[in-house]
Order: sequence, then structure tokens, then C-alpha cells
Amino acid sequence: MGFLMDGLDAESYDRKYTDKMLTRRIVGYFRPHLRKMAIVAGAIVINSLMDTAIPIVISRGIDRLQLEGESVILPIALIVAALAASSWVFNFARRALGAQIIGDVVLKVREDAFDAVLKRDLSFYDSYASGKIVSRVTSDTQAFSNVVTLTLDLMSQLLLVVLLIAYLFTVDVRLTLITLALAPFIVMTALAFRRIARKVVTDSRRVRALVSSHVQETVSGISVAKTFRQEQAVYDDFLDVSKRAYRINLRAGFVFSGIFPILNLMSGIGTAALVYFGGVWTQEGGLTAGSWFLFIQGIALFWFPLTSIASFWSQFQLGLAAGERVFALIDADPKVVQTDNRRLPKVDGEIQFEHVKFSYKDDEQVLHDFNLHIRAGETLALVGHTGAGKSSIGKLVARFYEFQGGTIRIDGVDVREFDLEWYRSHLGIVTQTPFLFDGTVRSNIRYGKANATNDEIERAAQHIGGGDWLVSLPNGLDTQVGERGASLSMGQRQLVALARVLLQNPSIFILDEATASVDPLTEALIQEGLEAVLRDRTSIVIAHRLSTIKDADRIIVLREGDIIEQGSHDSLLEQGGHYAELYNTYFRHQSLEYMEQMLELAGAD
Amino acid sequence: MSIQPSEFTVATSHRYNHQNAIRWIFSHIWQNRVIAIACFSMTIASYIFFSYAQVLIGQAAGAIIESNVTSTVLDAETGRAISETGTGNALPAIALGILGVFVASGLFDLVRSLSLETLAQRLEAGTREELYISLLGKSQTFHDRQRVGDLMAMATDDVFQLNMLMNPGVLFVMDIILGFAIPVLYIAMLNLELAIVPVVFILAYIVLVRRYSSQLNPIAYRQRERFSKMNAAAEETISGIEVVKASAQEPRERRRFQRNARLFRGFYVKQGFIEARYLPLLVFGAAFGIAFWHAATMVSAGRLDIAGLIGFVGLFNLLRFPTFIAIFCFTLIQLGIAGADRILKIIRAETELDQNIGGHTAAVNGEVVFENVSFGYDDGSVLKDISFRVDPGQTVAIVGQTGSGKSTLTDLINRTYEATKGRVLIDGVDVSEWNLTSLRSQISKIEQDVFLFSRTIADNIAFGKPNATQADIELAAKSAQAHDFILSFKDGYQTIVGERGTTLSGGQRQRIALARAFLSDPRILVLDDSTSAIDSATEDEIQKAIRKMQEGRTTFLITHRLSQIRWADTILVIERGELVACGSHEHLLRTSSHYRRIFARYDIELPPLENELEAAIPVANPV
Repeated sequence: MGFLMDGLDAESYDRKYTDKMLTRRIVGYFRPHLRKMAIVAGAIVINSLMDTAIPIVISRGIDRLQLEGESVILPIALIVAALAASSWVFNFARRALGAQIIGDVVLKVREDAFDAVLKRDLSFYDSYASGKIVSRVTSDTQAFSNVVTLTLDLMSQLLLVVLLIAYLFTVDVRLTLITLALAPFIVMTALAFRRIARKVVTDSRRVRALVSSHVQETVSGISVAKTFRQEQAVYDDFLDVSKRAYRINLRAGFVFSGIFPILNLMSGIGTAALVYFGGVWTQEGGLTAGSWFLFIQGIALFWFPLTSIASFWSQFQLGLAAGERVFALIDADPKVVQTDNRRLPKVDGEIQFEHVKFSYKDDEQVLHDFNLHIRAGETLALVGHTGAGKSSIGKLVARFYEFQGGTIRIDGVDVREFDLEWYRSHLGIVTQTPFLFDGTVRSNIRYGKANATNDEIERAAQHIGGGDWLVSLPNGLDTQVGERGASLSMGQRQLVALARVLLQNPSIFILDEATASVDPLTEALIQEGLEAVLRDRTSIVIAHRLSTIKDADRIIVLREGDIIEQGSHDSLLEQGGHYAELYNTYFRHQSLEYMEQMLELAGAD
Repeated sequence: MSIQPSEFTVATSHRYNHQNAIRWIFSHIWQNRVIAIACFSMTIASYIFFSYAQVLIGQAAGAIIESNVTSTVLDAETGRAISETGTGNALPAIALGILGVFVASGLFDLVRSLSLETLAQRLEAGTREELYISLLGKSQTFHDRQRVGDLMAMATDDVFQLNMLMNPGVLFVMDIILGFAIPVLYIAMLNLELAIVPVVFILAYIVLVRRYSSQLNPIAYRQRERFSKMNAAAEETISGIEVVKASAQEPRERRRFQRNARLFRGFYVKQGFIEARYLPLLVFGAAFGIAFWHAATMVSAGRLDIAGLIGFVGLFNLLRFPTFIAIFCFTLIQLGIAGADRILKIIRAETELDQNIGGHTAAVNGEVVFENVSFGYDDGSVLKDISFRVDPGQTVAIVGQTGSGKSTLTDLINRTYEATKGRVLIDGVDVSEWNLTSLRSQISKIEQDVFLFSRTIADNIAFGKPNATQADIELAAKSAQAHDFILSFKDGYQTIVGERGTTLSGGQRQRIALARAFLSDPRILVLDDSTSAIDSATEDEIQKAIRKMQEGRTTFLITHRLSQIRWADTILVIERGELVACGSHEHLLRTSSHYRRIFARYDIELPPLENELEAAIPVANPV
């Protein structure tokens, strides 16, 4: 029952739906399958009728066998077999059709949810972990379908119980009341059990997470443990955790294992009571032996549905909550909204920020009244402390976020009026940690231009560092990059990302340079690659490398969303202002002369 | 069973049978055989009583009908008085018997459930601990090839599957076997002829269930596989959403997801169809009709009484439960065995190193020699024919692209890896002849991504020397320029790494690792200084610490800092596992085009390239 606590974390886009809204939503998804639904409902009713009829026919048969003898045997046996067979057929129809309906509904909900996710802007992805989004699209949709399965099962079981009880009342009221007297005990036991179970399940989940994190830590740090020969100490720690996990899981297991023997015991007591009182009343007359036997058989049909009714509500609510989470995901409002579908014959790449106001969250203004004109073809480096607004400028040009005031114009046109897909196809963006899709280097370079020929890809790759970077890849362009590019080094991923951009041949290039340092050989190759990309196109570089800054046409120094200095590296350094301070903080140790300075420093000590 | 070499063993641990998954599971169960045997006998006892209740119900019916027959006859004449005088009414005794039988069966059932649960939990804990010991003993080569996530899944999910295999997997198997066998036994005791239909039914059931599981399993497997594929693909799209949006590729990702979701739907519906078509239940219904016909015929022929008929019907009805639960138990058992297979594969994986307790033990002086060293995994070589010599106290910078083998080269020095060809000598002794503890405790490596355990900072610094005093620890931290920032935390040295709010920056981690190294006072130091995102002030501190550390120690330096490379005594240039150049900065600028390329973009004057020399001097300090 681990599912009890799964995925219940709330997100800020979650909303409460009224029962009516939720029902209408769910019904809406099932509407296309009305005919199949009707068949399923019919099958459930008939199936329950037949399952009720079997013990009744048998008990009647036993009575009539005593009165009428041999002649009734064959008809009764045939009726029992026929009832069982058709019950099977209707059960089959119900389950097979049910699987189809649920499969289709889940598919539709999934597609809607995924579509909705793709339409969100980046602020959405910043706020929510990808794993959680995915679990809404894949797991919650499945959990939501459980509501339907559960309801169908409950309906058929309830129907069976109701039909059986109704019939039993017509046979003997007193025995029916004895049978019913058992129900509250069973339901109460099941409910009490659920309360205890919830607690031990939580404990058990916690301790499993503990084991998992311990293993993760040891395995990740195994080389440290080996280097220092501390395996025994690490093992002793683990043994503590493992023993604790054993004790807690055992306690949880005892709760779960205890419930069924206890419920069985209760139905046993009920059976004994029925045997005695039913027997006495039969002996007194007014009840046949067959009917007496029907009650005893009935109790077995009776108690299993009761235990599942007890757990139905909470599972049903979990399913509904899952549905609610999926709908909240589908209904969240996109923030980046285009006002038009404009396309231009070509993009030169002139960018203009006019009085732009921007914040990620309501209370943290990043840009207050930002003005900047970038000429077509210019290479612009942005520098500043963390939070100065460097990255925001690139992301606003990419239209990843909505800004709150002012205008951004590309070639004189308001960026909000463009056909977004068309516009973005003229941008090339390389992020700090370039993302690669599982596949080959080739397929990753091709990503932005699906119809590119191998020749074009080859040329784009050769354009960077004369293709020397391919030599260090085991299979050249056909090297597998692994999950998220994990088989390549960060530097190599940057090279692939640069080649991807070169192939796209964008008019505007935005680069958020990696802060991670890259080995000197790859660094040299990246610099050569950058030269190729930066040439002849408008470029905005959020710079972390000294060499990129030095090569820029213009350096913009940002502080708290304002441009406070601009110019070339040398002139800015000479001014001795904020740029000089930034240089001293971030870039000084990247210079070739750093060691000499350090030695002087050490000598002076 | 051969004893595998291992870098770590626990003397007290039991040796289990590793031949195959089932034997392995069984050898773990055998460790708890008392509980296992108790559990099994309790199950039998519980079933004997539980099924006997149906026999008693039949007898109760007999008692009722008997007195009923007499009472109905007499009823017409003298009213109901007779039934009270009916001699030897067995009903109360039988009813009490039924109560007793149910209570006994319930108690046995409870004990068997609890003992099975204990067995299941012990199996989980036992296999988890065995796996863990085995992981600690594996070589680094092994760990490099395993993904942390996979091993984690094994130590948590797969061992949990083993738990599930016992409870409810084995529980269901016992329920099926005993749930068929014992009622049928009672039926046979009631009347041997009656057993014909149930036995035929069970035979049919075995055939049908086997067919059912052979149809269901591949579909269920592929459904799970499709689900994880759909999940992984969606996760990838969302993680890479910036690229997706920047390249305007949303339609393509949408199509990909729809394709995956549809494939999954296909298998879901198919599985639903197969499950709905579970034939044993249909056969059970038919058999029930035939069994009734058979028993009733025997009644009318006088070979069976009504009590027998009722007992028989009750017993036959008990067969419904085991018929039904077979749906679940096969999947559980198969998943459990699959998990056991995965774990066993890891436990059995060969590891090439052992502790070499009797090996060479001495104080290291610091001379390092590589003689034609090659190293590779099964799927390709990483280092090829590398030779060089380093004098004690020298600093060696290793330059090369990521993945060229720099890190691997340094891992051969402390025998984290073992050279596949050639020899690595420390002070003239082959590392494979050194006692592993003696060797490793004198070589410190500071990794690129410094790994710290979730313990206090003091514990982390003292990791290699657990008996160090607080004064030792602080001295080491001061030498590593870490003392000041450690004191800036609220709990100082007692700050627990990784807890809320105390995430350490890369620079801070590196300095703690340096303190760790200072404390263990190694003779050879390996420094992978490729730290990311460090500001100049932090770099100043780190450089101070490193310079202090280098004094009097042989140092291997993997660094991205050009300024540091220039100052090394010797520079090794590695490309694709080969040593392409070796020598001092000045020498390499003159001889290596690779090396020159690095400095090409800086405003320094490059000496002319002496082409002919590059090939002529691959080794600066020939062996």
C-alpha cells in the first residue's frame, strides 16, 4: 500500500475543484465512450445477478433433491454450470471493455497533460522539478484511472451484497439479521487497521528512504572509503541502518499480516453462530436445510466486499486527488502570450530594450527600467555579480519569460507580435549546462534542423576548431552521448551545442557561458568554435571566461538590473570602477600571469 | 565454491550459495530454517482446521436433517414438543466444534502470517547486507561501470521484491498448493469417488494457468517496459525543455510522447484482455456444476447422504480462492527472481584486486615509475604504453582533454585500478606487491568532485584517521585554509555536511579534502584541481594550501589553470590514452603543437616549433 502517500506534494499551480467541476471534467473524458460504458454497466448488473443466483440455486437444489429425488439433479447442475459460464462471459466483457475505456481515457488525459506542459513558459519549469511534472503526466493519470476501476469493482460487489441480502431477507429475517450483525465489526476492524497501517507505512517509507540514501552515499563515495581504507567503519554504519530498517519494516509487516487472520476469525465466529441458530430454527421448522446452507455459504460471499468497501473511500479520494493534480496541470495559465503571428522575410538581429520591467516573482524586481540597443551583428558581453540581471536579458530576448512593462523590439518589431515558433527558429541559444538528448553526437547537432543532411552536419562540426574535437570522441560523430549527454565531458557538450547552433545558422546568438572550467585543450577548441559562431551575427554573451570578454565588441556592466558601465576590457579596467572589482573577483585567476602574482604574494608574506 | 578476491571482507558473515537465484534465495531462507519450518507447519495446520470446518458443517446438516425428519413426521400429530425430546441432538456440540476449529485455524493462521513476515523481512535485510558487503569489496573498475542509481535500486527495490516474493508470493503458492490439496483430501476421505471431479479440475487448472502465465508475462513485461520508456522520454523532454523551446521543436516532442503513450495504451488494453479471459474461473464454474451433478447422483443412488453432499459442496467451494489468486502470484515470484538475478550478478561479478595483507609494507619515499603501462576495460583501452619517471618531491602536471585518461593514470598509482600491461613502481616496488593498506594510506587523492559524507566536518576531516584529536583536526584545517570558513558556521567543526542550509561550495569542499589529506600526511599527493565556479579570492586560498601541501611530497596535478601548468617540474601531455609529449613548459612550447595550441590565444610570445623534436623525445626522464 505504498501508494498511500505517493506524490501528494502540493504545487503552487494546484487548485481546488468543486466536486461538481471535477465530476463534469471526468464525465467529459468518458463521454466519447458512452456506448461501451453502457455495456459495461449492463454486464456488471447481469454478472452480479448470476453470481448471487448460484448459491441460491444450489441451496434450492439440496431441498428439492430431498423432496423430488433424482429428476431435479441434471437440470440444477446444468443451471449452475450455465450461470457460472455466463457470469464468466459477462465478467470478461466488463473487464475487457473496461480496460479499453480506461486505456483510451488515460491516453487522452496524458496527451492533454503533456500538451499543456509543452505550452508552459520557462518560469514554470524553473519552479517545478522535472520528475514531479513527469509523474503528473504519467503516474497521476494512471492513479486517476484507478478511480474508475475502483468504482466499477465497488458497484459490482455492492450489487452482489445488496441482491444477496434482499434475497436472504425473504428466506429468513432472523438469520439475515445475524449475518448483518457481523458487518459493523468487519468494517470497523478494517477501518481501525487502516489508521494503524497509515502510520506504519509512513515509518516504513521513511526508513526505506534512509537505506536508499545511505547506499547512494556509500557508492558515490566509495573511492574515498577505499583510498582511506575505511570500509569497515562504513559497513558498521550501514549495519545500524539496515537493522533499524528490518525492525521497522517487520512491525509494519506484522500489522499487514495480522489483519486477514483476524477478519477470517470473525467470519468463522459468524459461521459458527449461523450453524447453531440456523440449525436450531431448522429443527424447529420454518427453515429448510438448503436455506440454512445458503446462509452459511452467503457469509463467505459477504465479508470480502465489506472489507473492500471500508478501504474504498480513501482510495477513491486518492484517485480523485490525482485527477485534480492532472487537471490543475492542464489548466494552469500560460504566461507568455503572443498577440499576433507575424513573420519577417529575414531577421537582421537588431535588438532594442525600451523601459523594460521584469521580475521572476512578484516581489523581486530584476529589471526596473531597462534600456539597451544592440546593433545588428554586434557581440555584446554582459558581466555583473550573481542576480545583476545578466541571464534575464538573454531569456527575455528568447521570449522564455513574459516581461511586465516596456517593449522589446527585434528589427523594430515588438517581440510579442511574432509567430513564436518562427521567431525562435532564428535564435541560437547555448545554456550554461548544455543539454543533450540521448543519442549520437550527430543526432544532437541535427536537433534544431531535422532535415539537415549529413554533409551539412559534417561541415558544422568541422567549422569548430577545424574538427579536431571529433578526434577525441571514440566514434566521431556517431559517438553515443548517453543520458543527458553524461558520456561527454562538459566541454565536449558545449562543443556539440555550438555545432548545433552553427547548423541552425541563427540571426541572433545567445550564450550563457559555463562557469565550470574546462580542460585547457578543449577550452582552446571552444574558443575557436565561438569565434566561428560569433562572427557576423548579433550575439549576447553572459560571460564567465576572460577570453570571451576580451574579444567582445562591447562589455555591459550590470548592477541590480542597471547598466552602470560599458566599453572595452582595457578601458573599463583603467577606469577602476565596478568592472575592475568584478575582474578582481571572478577573472583574475584565469589570467596567465596568476601564478606569478601568487608567488609574489607568497614571497611578500 | 571458489573464494573471490575482494578488497573488503567481513569475517563473521555467512557464505551463501551463489550458484543461481533460487539456490541463493534458499540459502538465505536456510539461515532462518526454524522460522521457515514453523511457518510451513502452521500453514498446514491452519488449512487442516479451516477445511475441517466444512466437514463439520456437513455433519451439522446431517444432525439437522435427521432430527428434522423425525420432527416433521411427528409434527403432524403432536406439535413441536417432540423436537425438544429428540434424543442425542448433536447440533450444539458440532456448532461449538465449528467455533473451536475456526478459532484454532485463525490462531495458526496468525502465527504463520507473522512467521512468514519475519522470514520475508529477514530475507530482505540479509540479502541487502550481503549485497552491501560485496559492493564494498569491489574494485573501483567495477564501480566505474555501475551507475549509482542502479545499485541503489538493487539495494532498495530489488531486495524489496525478494520480500514480496516471500510475502505474499510464497504465501500464495502455499495457499494454492494446500488450498487444493487439503480440501481434496477431505473430499476423498468423505468418499473416494467424489474426488474424481476436483482432481480432474485441478489437472485442467494446472494446464490452463501455465498457458495463462505464458500469455500474460510477456505482455505485462512489455507494458512495464513501455511505461518506463514513456516516463524516461517525457523526463528527457522536460529536462531539456530549454533546448526544445529554443529550437522550436515542440511538435516533434509532442509526437514522440503521443507515440509512446499510444504504445503503452496498446499493451495496457491487451493485458486487460488477457486478464479478463482468465479461463480457470470458467472451468471452475463448469466443474462446480458437474461436481454437484455427480454428488447428487450419488445421493439419489444412496451412496452418499445429504450431510455428505453439503460437506462436499462446502469443500469444493474452498477451491475457488486458490483458483483465483494464481493471477497474482506468478508475477510476484517472477519479479522476485528477476531481482535476485540482478543482485546475484553483482555479487558474483569478478573483482580483480585483493587486500594483499602479506604484501610489502614500508614508508614511501615518493619515487614513481611507469614502465610501458597500459590499462583498459573489456571494451577498449584507456591508456596505452605509458612510461615516465618522477623523482621524490617533484610536481607533475598532467594535461589533456577530458576523457583522455589523465584521471585513470593517477588511479593506477594507488592501485585503484590495476595496470593491464606493464608495471607501476613506487620506490622501485611494483604496486601490486604492496600491502594495499600500506600503499593507499600513504597516497592521498583529492578528487575533482570532492565527496563528503553526511557527517560533521570534523568527522570528514578525520575520515582517514579516526583517532585524530580536535587539535590535530584544527591544525590540518588551518594548513588547508579551511579553519576560518568552518568557524563561520554556527556549529563550527560539528556542522553536519549537507544538512539544511549548510551546502558547501566547491571551493570549501576542496579545502576540507585538503585538510583530510594534511591529516593523513601522505607521501604522494594526487590533486584533481578542476573545480568549477571559483572566484579569485577562493582560488587564492586554495593555491596557498596546495603550495603548502606540495612541499616535500611527490605531487601529480590535474589542473585547468594554465598558470599552474607552467610552473610544474614536468608536464605530461596525454591524448586519447597516449603520452604524446612530456617535459618542462619551455621544452613543450618548442616541441609540441598540442601544447602550443593551448597558449596560442594568449598574449605571450611562442618560440618557433621544432617539429623534428616532437617525435624524438616522448619521455623526458627515460627509465
